[in-house]
Amino acid sequence: MTLRVTGLRKSFGGVHALRGVDLTIEPGEVHALLGHNGAGKSTLIKALGGAFTPDGGTIEVAGRTYDGLSPRQSIDAGIAIIFQHLSLVESLSVVDNVFLGQEHHRLGVVDRKAQRAAAATLLERLGATCTVDDRVGDLPMGQKQLVEIAKALSRDPVVLILDEPTAALSSHEIGALERTVRALQEQGLAICYVTHLLGEVERLADRMTVLRDGAVHVSTSLLGKTRRDIIEAIAEPPTDLPPRAPVHEADPPQLLVSGLTGPGIGPIDLAVRPGEIVGLYGLIGSGRTRTLEMLFGRRPRQGVISVGGRTVGRSSPRAALAAGLALVPGDRARQGLFAPLSALDNALLPAQGTLSRFGLRRRRAERAAFEKMAAGLAVHPSTPDAPARAFSGGNQQKLLLGRWVNGILPTTVLLLDEPTQGVDVRARHEIYRVVRTIAAERRTAVLFASTDPEEIVALADRALVMQEGRLVAELSGDALDEDALLHAVHQSESDLQEYLS
Amino acid sequence: MSAPASLRQLARYPLIPVIIAMAIGFELATGSFVGSQNLLGIATDSATLAIVAVPAALLVISGYLDLSVGSTYALGAVAAGWFASAHGGGLLSCVVLALLAGLAVGAINGFLCCVVGLSPFIVTLGTLTAVRGIAQQLAPLPLTGFGDGFAWLGGAKIAGLPSPVAIALLVVVVAGAILTLTPVGRHIYAIGVSREAAYLSGVRVRTVPFALFLGTGALAALAGAIKASVLGAVQSGTAGLGFELAVLTAVLVGGVSLAGGSGTLLGVVLGVAFLGILQNGLTLVGVPTFWQQVAQGLALVVAAGLAYLAPRLEALAAVRPQASRVSASAAESRPASRSAMS
Repeated sequence: MTLRVTGLRKSFGGVHALRGVDLTIEPGEVHALLGHNGAGKSTLIKALGGAFTPDGGTIEVAGRTYDGLSPRQSIDAGIAIIFQHLSLVESLSVVDNVFLGQEHHRLGVVDRKAQRAAAATLLERLGATCTVDDRVGDLPMGQKQLVEIAKALSRDPVVLILDEPTAALSSHEIGALERTVRALQEQGLAICYVTHLLGEVERLADRMTVLRDGAVHVSTSLLGKTRRDIIEAIAEPPTDLPPRAPVHEADPPQLLVSGLTGPGIGPIDLAVRPGEIVGLYGLIGSGRTRTLEMLFGRRPRQGVISVGGRTVGRSSPRAALAAGLALVPGDRARQGLFAPLSALDNALLPAQGTLSRFGLRRRRAERAAFEKMAAGLAVHPSTPDAPARAFSGGNQQKLLLGRWVNGILPTTVLLLDEPTQGVDVRARHEIYRVVRTIAAERRTAVLFASTDPEEIVALADRALVMQEGRLVAELSGDALDEDALLHAVHQSESDLQEYLS
Repeated sequence: MSAPASLRQLARYPLIPVIIAMAIGFELATGSFVGSQNLLGIATDSATLAIVAVPAALLVISGYLDLSVGSTYALGAVAAGWFASAHGGGLLSCVVLALLAGLAVGAINGFLCCVVGLSPFIVTLGTLTAVRGIAQQLAPLPLTGFGDGFAWLGGAKIAGLPSPVAIALLVVVVAGAILTLTPVGRHIYAIGVSREAAYLSGVRVRTVPFALFLGTGALAALAGAIKASVLGAVQSGTAGLGFELAVLTAVLVGGVSLAGGSGTLLGVVLGVAFLGILQNGLTLVGVPTFWQQVAQGLALVVAAGLAYLAPRLEALAAVRPQASRVSASAAESRPASRSAMS
């Protein structure tokens, strides 16, 4: 018995992120952990990594039982986690990264020779092509990930957890990683593999556990299971969203982009009509975020962008906003929210100039506008003075939507990057509802980017699939389903299969 | 605003009870602390500090920093004093000259920090040294013999108040209005919290701090000119030496975070008052200057310690009811909890 999680519970400010999760992973097993954004996968992993103390339940590793772990205890217990955002120091060499914090030393002096030898052995075992002296910052993503795995293995773990390890890898690198995982499995490691991609589940996993809304929905062996069975296990019951807004083919596009080009992107041509919701689907690193940021003027670009028939001149957020083009960024904490400032400031910051008279703010008008916005977007609590950090992820996201959709600013094109990142299931559906309502009632053209195929299917009228900075497919109507999206994004998957066999 | 709310507002200013306690203590020790004469003296002595600490505080709230104010102060004093003594310059021309000198320093700082994007710490440390050199080059010898016109700047009464105090009040009122009544005031906070998020919200993230550098430079130079007028003499090598540290101390003791995005003008005014009262009271009591410096330094560290502890104590109090098992990690678990929700 290697890892056994029993009845794990955790809530954050009234939101139940984990409600009694059981999970058992045996030695030599690859266990796929599945579920949509907000289902509780990341929270579960963070609990195992010691990021916080669970409210209840136990974690048993190699025969020892814990109520909760500190990061140190987690490592000592033998849990190794490879997060999506690697924890490497880019300016240090491979060997220094592998042994960071657990240097081999003799009489307090680092034993470089022993470290280099040990690191070289580990890298060879993983099939890495980099050398121990390479600077990590210079390595391609796939090699960085192997360094991170080497670092984890140097601590002699019994459980290895990989959080969407292929999300940022090229198809060639994915093949290499999958072979590495197999090899580690044969050496008797218990492996927990978090992914969105069904192909990886089919190829690698022995068992799967599907989380839904913080609880285990299905946990089963994959022996004799087909892709259909996996999809059915993951699929959520349909939710009642407002109907899709009618899109009139005769309407001129609200957003028209031609020849959009930038570093590693394009050329991209696309059009979004008034009231239409278009989803931009692609894997991490495919250029979705960069495309949205170029449209918004956050990054330098070439090409012509017109909003409502008028060309946007300068490439800057201010010029974009003046033209009616607004972006809700994906990195809410860093790019969107002003956590210590009030909800009102967060929602109305760009509108305060319009609301003011003779250069002075009009508080009453601001409060009225906030109340109207909060009611329309169902912001809870609707207190204008509470700091934004006191709100749940979903309501923070609504404040950011309200920043552009408040009846004061002339937003006619709304760009959303990962609109439901870090929000729970209920908030996710509410954000879908809000976006649908905005499109239907204000005839706003919406272009949103997501790595979650289910999100694209649930929200988009039409999907554009992105690969390596280019649009490679367009899906709409009955042709738009998760299978089609996954197939389109992995068009080279047949090559990949060949490469693996 | 209801009574409990205003009480809670007061609780955000721990300096208020401290200042009251200090006033009582000094009064008991000397019997001459609380009197309009002495209090007005403190206000006059603190006025130049307030005139610079206020714009400097706005700059810190927006996430920037100006260390060059001590030398800009000297440059303003030299510019005004030189024109007043060598050319018989009147009040207006001397003040305009000082302001122009301060604006020039502010423009250089603003250009390098906001447009080029260099570190404000490095840039203003550089201008601190360079501008002092310029001031000494312009006036290697002490300047004296200013005309009556220029003497008015520091010696006049405006609405019954000594002119430095009146000017400081004007600066506080105007800055307070900008910070609380205008959209730009919100932008100053927003830029300090997250420059990136402010930029993506359409805020002018270069222009706003640039203007604050201009204002800080101009008011530092004006403060220097006022002091020159009060003293009737300027010495370029010593005028405003270490003034930048007094300004920064007042700003930080006043509760403005060096990380940007938080702080109030009332806090800064209290910070200036605190330092003025401390110096005046200790002098009255007969504490030697060196020990006064020690007290000022300790006050800064204690204030910083309080600012560091307050949110952590608050967080600890908030999580205690549910996290009884592992209380040591409770304080850290709070910030982590938001990002864990994916």
